[in-house]
Amino acid sequence: MDRIEPASLAGVDTSARDALRSDTDEIDLIPVRTFWQLARQRFMQHRLAVIALFVLAILLVMATVIPLATGIQYRLSDLRLINDGPSLTAPLGYDEVGTNIFIRLAKGTQSSLIIGGAAVLIIVGIGTFVGAISGYAGGWIDNVLMRMVDVVLSLPVLFIILMIVSFFGVGDIRVVIIAIGITGWTLAARLIRAEFLTLREADFVQAARALGAGHRRIILRHILPSAMAPLVVAAALGVADSVVTEAALSFLGYGISPPDASLGNMLNKVRIYFFSAPERILYPSVVLVLIVLCASFLGDGIRDALDPRQRIASK
Amino acid sequence: MTTDSEANTMDDASRAPGATDVGTSAATGSVDGNGARPSDGETLVRVQDLVKHFPIRGGLLGVSKLGAVRAVDGVSFDVRRGETLGLVGESGCGKTTLGKVILRLIPATSGEVYIKDRAMFKQSGNQMKAIREDMQVVFQDPYASLNPRMTVGEIVGEGPLVHGLSNRKKREALVRELLGRVGLNQSHIHRYPHEFSGGQRQRIGIARALALNPEFVVCDEPVSALDVSIQSQVLNLLDDLQKELGLTYLFIAHNLAVVEHISDRVGVMYLGKIVELADVDTLYRDPRHPYTVALLSAVPETDPRRRRKRLVLRGDVPSPVNPPSGCRFHTRCWLREQLGNPENCVTEEPPLRVLAPGQQAACHWAEKISPEAIQSAADRQPTVATAEPAPAA
Amino acid sequence: MTNAVDAGDVGLLELRDLKTHFFTQDGTVRAVDGVTFEIRDGQTLGVVGESGCGKSITAMSVLRLIERPGRIIGGEVLLRGKNVLNYSDQEMRDVRGNQISMIFQEPMTSLNPVYTCGDQIAEAVELHEAISRREAWGRAIEMLAQVGIPEPARRAKQYPHQMSGGMRQRVMIAMALSTNPELLIADEPTTALDVTIQAQILELMKALRERNKMAIMLITHDLGVVAEMADEVVVMYSGKVFERADALTIFEQPHNPYTRGLLASIPRLGDKRERLEVIRGVVPNPLNLPTGCLFKRRCPYAMPVCDTPPPVRQVKAGHISRCWLTPESEPPSIGADAPPEVAEAAAQELTVAGR
Repeated sequence: MDRIEPASLAGVDTSARDALRSDTDEIDLIPVRTFWQLARQRFMQHRLAVIALFVLAILLVMATVIPLATGIQYRLSDLRLINDGPSLTAPLGYDEVGTNIFIRLAKGTQSSLIIGGAAVLIIVGIGTFVGAISGYAGGWIDNVLMRMVDVVLSLPVLFIILMIVSFFGVGDIRVVIIAIGITGWTLAARLIRAEFLTLREADFVQAARALGAGHRRIILRHILPSAMAPLVVAAALGVADSVVTEAALSFLGYGISPPDASLGNMLNKVRIYFFSAPERILYPSVVLVLIVLCASFLGDGIRDALDPRQRIASK
Repeated sequence: MTTDSEANTMDDASRAPGATDVGTSAATGSVDGNGARPSDGETLVRVQDLVKHFPIRGGLLGVSKLGAVRAVDGVSFDVRRGETLGLVGESGCGKTTLGKVILRLIPATSGEVYIKDRAMFKQSGNQMKAIREDMQVVFQDPYASLNPRMTVGEIVGEGPLVHGLSNRKKREALVRELLGRVGLNQSHIHRYPHEFSGGQRQRIGIARALALNPEFVVCDEPVSALDVSIQSQVLNLLDDLQKELGLTYLFIAHNLAVVEHISDRVGVMYLGKIVELADVDTLYRDPRHPYTVALLSAVPETDPRRRRKRLVLRGDVPSPVNPPSGCRFHTRCWLREQLGNPENCVTEEPPLRVLAPGQQAACHWAEKISPEAIQSAADRQPTVATAEPAPAA
Repeated sequence: MTNAVDAGDVGLLELRDLKTHFFTQDGTVRAVDGVTFEIRDGQTLGVVGESGCGKSITAMSVLRLIERPGRIIGGEVLLRGKNVLNYSDQEMRDVRGNQISMIFQEPMTSLNPVYTCGDQIAEAVELHEAISRREAWGRAIEMLAQVGIPEPARRAKQYPHQMSGGMRQRVMIAMALSTNPELLIADEPTTALDVTIQAQILELMKALRERNKMAIMLITHDLGVVAEMADEVVVMYSGKVFERADALTIFEQPHNPYTRGLLASIPRLGDKRERLEVIRGVVPNPLNLPTGCLFKRRCPYAMPVCDTPPPVRQVKAGHISRCWLTPESEPPSIGADAPPEVAEAAAQELTVAGR
């Protein structure tokens, strides 16, 4: 490696270059910050995303702490408390079988978040893998993979999920996650592929190739970090999608069924109270909407935070 | 294909005798950065019958070939050690593609590029990696050519890292040295590219290219995206670096004045072919291809006293999918018109032939070009030049 | 080229101390900051400067096409003696495309991709004249012929994407000229074009200028294009006019160090210099402009007095320059070491004298 030892500048007239150097002074006015410091600053600029993060954090804490503290209370019914009103231990009252709605809601949120989080890992995983190969390789590989995506896309997704679930076990949360995951990756794949296709031709990627960097390094160090934007968008959409799909599945009775709690089966059970006690419909719906909205806002925030070209407003 | 094997033999006239001397090039290959390599006319890079066609695909799975964009269509030339070979042409003439094929960033359709007498397209992955230490590239757009997610230090240090300089301290010392060399502040090593101006970013790109201590640098429009007052900074820097490090440049640009300033020899491209190749002074003073004449005439002079009747070409560059038969320039050629549309311009492709020592042009009628001929062609044109040649009368 | 302006003569367009600022999140950008110049009938005025100097914003301000966060905050734009900044939106629309037309750098983005070229020209004509559709279409074809497009009747039925860049720019020019404007504002009209196509367009503009007797405000960064076309030249830097003179003077006896630097730094055909002159440094950050002269950090003649805003001096009749250097290009007589107060006072005096 001695070939790339620096050559000495001794004896070379560098006055012209010293003059050039003076024009970089303005940069010195801005303090040096690491990538993550900058990312945090950009994220904090995104007010909606900060709020979304806050709300999601509350939901997450509730969904973790309350079921942990109350054990199996979410499935216990107490006939004396059927349709009882709100109290200190049950801020949302009791339902038609005498279960604490608040605790059940927390447990339902937990299953939704688990399913959303786990399914999105599968979605982003498969999507990135297929999209990256397709976009980076191009040619016939790209063609074959994308036609495959078209096929998956053309299938009626809910129908397929119902089939998978009914084949492999109704009410099993793992089956639900896998079913949502393996049907939902197409959008992610398309987004990632499009980004890889353009980035592959980007000058900085060409420069890396000219330096002799291998495919691995080019994909992991150059293309993938720059493809973060569609990746994060795909993930946010994926979370929202899987949470809603799970709710729909459970609502139809193919997802998580009572006595296990999920936002979907809670909605199913309260639909008969549409006129008598509409607030019961509101509880799971609000949580559902909050998760979906927060995922999307948070996605926007993270996307912008990871884009170093985004400006940081001066104080 | 084409008749460019002829062109290749013609090229011999301008090739120095040391071209095939493997021993010499190997010995001078490891010159330390400080000593300038002599510009002794020895061939460093040889481009031979290079062809690059981009297939236009269609059909069910996009595999059937409908046609091809003939971006580079049989190009041969030598780049001599220590010189700057300029390559000019209008957009779509294939000059940028040619640069990328020479760098093996895109595969060639046919032909070969030799660097220090190694046939590049025959090298395996690992051998190619070693060759990449000898040749580097500087891109046009200083905003697109730097990874926005890497610091200056990571960008400039990537080449050495990829080539095995894993010691972080050493790498940083090297990067600092390089930053100083291109006139950047060494303390900016941890900054991100977007914090710099266009000219500064272009200098980061140059530092990255120099990090592997290459002998050959392809500069693809390195100043055309920069402001006027910044262009001269970068041009002077490239000049200085060439002298200090004995670099050899292939300088691709569309600005004729910039190319004249920096080049020792200049090639003019039109529709994927080199139509003229000559020493810079000869080419600019005494062009021997009607296209070169028109290009030079089209450049606006920065002197209001010399507003003149220029020779304006009619029409646009034809599509490289269906280039004209015979001489590709015949559809717009003023000389052909002046000579009464001779037959062979349409039927016979003119080879690149030697017209004077150090000057080759691909025109059947190159000898007919004279200042008087140019003047009379300029005088005969209508006041409003039409956008396309009139249909053949 | 007469320089003495008759008091009773109302010029075509006159800008007086025009100021267009952009109020961004990070602060105020003084994109155009006190620009004064005029264009007479039939004259071609070149406005040159590097990117960000405010030359395009000046043109947009003339047509009042400034969008938020930008605003014209001061000065006058006198069109035939009337200030268009006071016009109603309706009156302004009558000016645009009628008295003043504009062509842009990238014709693809300024032509509507879903209409044929003929339709777009005919529409421009119809907007400003009470004529039938058929007549307007006829005019469109006539205009296409005038700008040198062969087979205009067939080309009129084509869409912009079916044409090359040079052809599209011709269509833009045809559209701009279809209403016989008195002033054509051309914003980098040839920057996106190849050099042989640029030559075609420049020749075309020259021919049409003769034929239609119109004035042109030619905005460009290319000094060659200016030398080729312009009668008079305005050199802008960081939102201010740094020098203004007839083209010969600008190219042969420039006074302002910025103009000199710019001319020395470009390589020219047949130029045998080993090294190019360099203007050191970069254009100042518009959010963080230096005090005093905006060019002082890059200026080879910079002296202490440059910390005070330089006066606009009259170098000779019709030639002004914003610089402390005297018309003989010597440091001002107050001396380089004069204390700021003295310089300040001198600046006041000189500004008055210069005007």
